[in-house]
Amino acid sequence: MNEIKLEMKNISIEFPGVKALSNVNFEMTGGTIHALIGANGAGKSTLMKVLAGANTHYTGEIYVDGKPVEIRSPKSAKDLGIEIVFQEVDTALVPYLSVSENIFLGREIKTAGLVDRTRMNKEAKRWLDMVGLNISPMTLVNKLSIGIQQMVEIAKALSTNSKILIMDEPTSALTAKEIEDLFLIINKLKKEGCGIVYISHRLEELEHIVDRVTILRDGQYINSMNFKDTSLPEIISNMVGRDIKEKFPRVTCKRGKKILEVRKLNAGRMVRNINFDLYEGEIVGIAGLMGAGRTETTRAIFGVDPKASGEIILDGKTIKIEEPMDAISQGIVLVPEDRKKDGLCTKLSIRENIALPNLDIICKKAGIINSKIEKEMANNTVSDLKIKLPNVEVNAGSLSGGNQQKVVVGKWLRRKSRVVIFDEPTRGIDVAAKVEIYNLMNNLKQQGIGVLFVSSELPEILGISDRIIVMCDGKITGELNVEEATQDIILQYATSFDKKIDDNILHK
Amino acid sequence: MDKIGKQNRIKRILAVRGMGQVITVTIGLIILCIVFSIVNPIFFSGKNIANLLRQIAPILIIGIGQSYVLITGNIDLSIGSVIGMSCMISATMMTKGVNPWAAVFVTFICCLAAGVLNGELVSRCKLPPFIATLGTMTIARGIAQIVNNNYNTGSIGEAAKGFRNFFYYGKTAGIYNAIWITIVLWIVFNFLLSRTRTGRHIYAIGSNVDAARLSGVNVHSTTIKVYVVSAICACTVGLMTCATTGMGTMDAGNGYEMYAVAASVIGGVSTLGGQGILLGTVVGASIWGVLQNGLQFAGAPVAIRNITIGIIVVVSVLLDVVVRTGKHRKKAN
Repeated sequence: MNEIKLEMKNISIEFPGVKALSNVNFEMTGGTIHALIGANGAGKSTLMKVLAGANTHYTGEIYVDGKPVEIRSPKSAKDLGIEIVFQEVDTALVPYLSVSENIFLGREIKTAGLVDRTRMNKEAKRWLDMVGLNISPMTLVNKLSIGIQQMVEIAKALSTNSKILIMDEPTSALTAKEIEDLFLIINKLKKEGCGIVYISHRLEELEHIVDRVTILRDGQYINSMNFKDTSLPEIISNMVGRDIKEKFPRVTCKRGKKILEVRKLNAGRMVRNINFDLYEGEIVGIAGLMGAGRTETTRAIFGVDPKASGEIILDGKTIKIEEPMDAISQGIVLVPEDRKKDGLCTKLSIRENIALPNLDIICKKAGIINSKIEKEMANNTVSDLKIKLPNVEVNAGSLSGGNQQKVVVGKWLRRKSRVVIFDEPTRGIDVAAKVEIYNLMNNLKQQGIGVLFVSSELPEILGISDRIIVMCDGKITGELNVEEATQDIILQYATSFDKKIDDNILHK
Repeated sequence: MDKIGKQNRIKRILAVRGMGQVITVTIGLIILCIVFSIVNPIFFSGKNIANLLRQIAPILIIGIGQSYVLITGNIDLSIGSVIGMSCMISATMMTKGVNPWAAVFVTFICCLAAGVLNGELVSRCKLPPFIATLGTMTIARGIAQIVNNNYNTGSIGEAAKGFRNFFYYGKTAGIYNAIWITIVLWIVFNFLLSRTRTGRHIYAIGSNVDAARLSGVNVHSTTIKVYVVSAICACTVGLMTCATTGMGTMDAGNGYEMYAVAASVIGGVSTLGGQGILLGTVVGASIWGVLQNGLQFAGAPVAIRNITIGIIVVVSVLLDVVVRTGKHRKKAN
């Protein structure tokens, strides 16, 4: 069997402001199933995108069967026999084309120069049968469920007869039966000599299928082992690392009365039966992996996304929140995750941005703006948060990331709120600015204002929170006090997906 | 102390966002006026200036309405048809003997309804504004035609003399009423846009609708408000047209929505939203009016006038988009 041998050596890649991969090594051979594991931002998808030709500006060497290759375009990767099945299905398939047109996109079957749909449909049916999909190849993709779309993507990848198949979180959208079928296909491919890279957070699924494991952390290569020589706790340990570098300012407060109760909150797949409380004098951190539903939960509470069901109870009274303006008027505010998209109007001035959610305070009767109060508010915010800028009239978009974040946070601090929700408040900002944000959060806590914050950085969660809620796949899977929490425990809760597959199946 | 105070005041005015472009086009306007005066000195006569102002007035009014909509990042293509609808409804009622002011009231309500319809289609039904207002444009034009059974109306008669004087022919304190109406509308709407909460919401939505919503802006009601403003402006111009011609023409206002866009964009209102001031729209509408008037006195045939104005519109919008997206690209780098 001519099995492909792949070696990636010293792969590094940088994006503006961040070094995503530093001297990462990765090796695999055909006929094995190799899991690529790491926490959020570890670099797994980035590395695989290098292999698939989607990240072209990498440095380092890649060898296929001992020969050096340059993968600078998706086509080069495909020519080498490397195919990738992306996690975001809706960006990988064209919704208004049929299944067969998607499968053969870019390599349509032609007869005498014209696209031969009959032959294409026949071929497509062959691949659909192979993945166990009983649908017509002429079905439009947007009529299929996400799970079935994922299987179509897999069928598409199979039809290319690839030598290396990369699958990024392939089972997240699948039902138990579909996962069974998928594992059967993967095993079959393995027997035929294909090498499969399997990126997943669902660590418990791995034992059913994986031969080798490579672990990345913070863009660096950590370790590779044979799966049977290691254990899940050891893998988690490797993912997490041992050092907590930064110091976190911590203040202790007495816990007061209950401010917020969230009961039976449901909002789609990402927010399922969420229940928690928030008290005065404490900071509650929400931990979890990307896709766990934390941002979606904050958005559902704040009224950005519609709720299917659930109650929000503030200071003992049930309140109705359907739009952000309802939440704000009741005293719940949100510092959003994406500051450029949701947090700032980048083309407006700092002054106008700070004023925008506070117009009810700034305006006299009949909605007329009092410029003096407005200017004062802007200047006070700038001096309180030590925001670096030439003056408050510059465009918000011209500030650095850290200062932009301070504007987004600062504009809400002008109000007397009851609950302030922070979503990734220190993402992409420098250490000094981070500490200032932590101090702000502590300040709010001391004032008896409820602080809820979502973060993907475990050290930060452990450093600042008093209580930690862990979410996984839309549900709360753990709740603990900071004294009893460690990164390992949090990560364990963060990866406790619903068990979809039975241990009895698939021991081939 | 006084000199510094005056300097500071000028600095503050210059620092207003959008002033740069306003000043540039004002210079352009002055140059145009000079050129046309040289070509035909009649251009600068007192009588012609008064007429020129009355020609500019309707374009400025609908320019205000269109600017409101453009600043939120939307567009209103139904303005021309609402002018026609307003003209026909008022004229038809008056020819049937209805009291002119009652006719004005009914017309106003109908145009308000058109504005609300536009707002609901765009905001609640989430139709792209181009499509939504294209739809109301067709409906409004249809109403304009059907109101008098597909005929232009006859004269609105002697009873409407007061109405005609109010909206067009009369003078108050030596200045034509039409110009007063324009001035009053501009003052009111400019104040609303620049100094009130609603005005801020309008700019915020145009700048970043997601961030606006998350800052508590009621995007739905603000969108309806801007379309209602636009409809009110179109209604006024329709009434002015009826007053001018003394009858109802089904074709009234045909194509005017694009003049409204032109006036706005030349004056610095961006079709991408979030930018521009009504002072610019004044200059934009003036340039449009001066071009029409000046080219006429220079002896240019109607076709040449249309082509010239069309080219200027396209170039202004093009420059607007290029400069805006170019600036974005520069900043991202």
